[in-house]
Amino acid sequence: MMMPMGVLAFLGLILIPLGVSPFVYLLGRVGVRTSEQQQARATWVRWAALLTLLATWIPFVLAASEFARRGPAEFQLETIALRLDGVSLLLAAAVLGLTTLAALFSWPYMAGEIGEEKYYTMLLAMTGVMVGLGFATDLFNLWVWFEAMAVSSYLLVAFYRRQAASLEAGMKYLVQSATGSVMVLMGIALVLATTGTVNLSEIRAGAAGSSPALLAAGALFVIGFGVKVAMVPMHTWLPDAHSQAPSGISALLSGVVIEAGLIALLRALMALAGVTHAWGLLLMGFGAANMLYGNLLALKQTQVKRLLAFSSLAHVGYMLLGFGISLYTGQTGGAQGAFFHLLTHAMMKGLAFLSVGGLLYALRLAKGDHNPLLTADLDGAATRYPLAALALSVAALALGGLPPLAGFMSKWQIFVAGFQTQNAVIMGLVVFAALNSVLSLGYYVPLVNALYRRKPSDVVAHGAVIPQAMLIPLVILTVAVVVVGLIPGSLSWLTGEAAKALLAAF
Amino acid sequence: MKNSVRFQRSFEGEIMNFSPLNIILLGVLGLFGVGLYGLLITRNLIKIVLVLQILVKAAVLALVLAGKAGGNLGLGQSLAATVIVADTVVAVIGLALAVQIRRRFGTLDLPAISTLKG
Repeated sequence: MMMPMGVLAFLGLILIPLGVSPFVYLLGRVGVRTSEQQQARATWVRWAALLTLLATWIPFVLAASEFARRGPAEFQLETIALRLDGVSLLLAAAVLGLTTLAALFSWPYMAGEIGEEKYYTMLLAMTGVMVGLGFATDLFNLWVWFEAMAVSSYLLVAFYRRQAASLEAGMKYLVQSATGSVMVLMGIALVLATTGTVNLSEIRAGAAGSSPALLAAGALFVIGFGVKVAMVPMHTWLPDAHSQAPSGISALLSGVVIEAGLIALLRALMALAGVTHAWGLLLMGFGAANMLYGNLLALKQTQVKRLLAFSSLAHVGYMLLGFGISLYTGQTGGAQGAFFHLLTHAMMKGLAFLSVGGLLYALRLAKGDHNPLLTADLDGAATRYPLAALALSVAALALGGLPPLAGFMSKWQIFVAGFQTQNAVIMGLVVFAALNSVLSLGYYVPLVNALYRRKPSDVVAHGAVIPQAMLIPLVILTVAVVVVGLIPGSLSWLTGEAAKALLAAF
Repeated sequence: MKNSVRFQRSFEGEIMNFSPLNIILLGVLGLFGVGLYGLLITRNLIKIVLVLQILVKAAVLALVLAGKAGGNLGLGQSLAATVIVADTVVAVIGLALAVQIRRRFGTLDLPAISTLKG
């Protein structure tokens, strides 16, 4: 049994953001008639969202300390069981960290937009739902959280409803994601028909031998969740959605939403781990495709946010490789590296999108221009925006895997795990991943080069100022990327537990 | 578990008889096929939302069937009811987006609104 304190912490993590979100909407709407009133209310709305996210850290700290003392805990709510283990704690940490910073960043970024209260409502709802996804203990519960996450992110992607491109991106995202979730449902139906249960651990116990229905179910999970994880070739929505969303949301989509999808996929596949070991090979194969495709397409991009979106494809590939190694061999090393990369990628990609967002705001949005930021516009930006340029450079170099930044350490951990298996195929894939990492420098380094070595472009010369509130998250994330790179062990308490929890089936 | 064995046998399908479960299974496969085919050929956004609904209905039916076949009918039914709620939300958002797209682009034709590439 858990202490009442633990139960409260547990529920608070989900219920605080999820429960407050409708009130944030009402706060921004009820009794507002004039535009002056609206502006006054918008300030309240921003405060409410930010304070709610900060308040959610209290149950997080309580749950984390409870976890450190007693290990995994389960909580029964009628027939729904929620479970706090290493994976859920890691996901909650990544989600809360990045959302809090994104909310702070959005304060000036979204100020004055039409429907600002809807933005914060959906932001809070998405946070609660993603944290909840980590707690799910049965397949169907997992699907419900997953679908709720998708619904809140559709609205955020299509937030600029006056912009044709955002609407197009939102529609593409919705159709592909909804098709994917039907595939997941079909997989759940197959599992339910063969094993008679949707509980993850009961399925694991019941699904020992190889059965065609369960193999088909696993394949449906890979396809269905794979759409959200953006495995090539189910990725076509990602570059559009991630580049058209407001920058704070781009950071969240790339930093935590696709990773939450990945965790949902892993949870579902681990329940079927007894069926075959080929899941690991499958994930590694998708990983290789993602790395190569993402890096090659990123090379030819001229829009900065689109370039970063393609680089997310490549980074999902590294994670898939790490998880694949673990699923195939049953050793925790690969998964620990992949979870570490999940955390560092959330920081690096969050930092990259937020710093690009800051520049986009100063160079375009502040003047009411919704056109995308091109790589050519970044020329010489370091002269006028030293801090944002530094943040973007650190993020780009870390994403490219230069030591001693965070991205190098997490990729390194995956590579080491690969070589420890002494399996020829896996070692070949690791070499392939390392070459890809070098290839990716082909588009990260020119960004840094443009920021520092070129003459300021006209756009930069006439740019507006980046507000202070946007710079705070940039500083925090830059420091985090450098510190985690220098002290990679600082996060192993999270990643080690998560890998152990994931591989409990073996 | 006895039910589930029977289901597996009918799934591997040596003799396809017209028991109620098999008829429902045919319904699931039919709806799913129509939905997937529809997704491939449809160009109008409203119709795409409708096709998605057909696909989801296949899944709803499949869940009820799976509940029956796996010997846990109540679970299957409650899952199906939840799916209906969740997918209505998706349909509403899809239609709302279609309305906005009609306003901005002046058309609902899919090729005409595809501008983002590569």
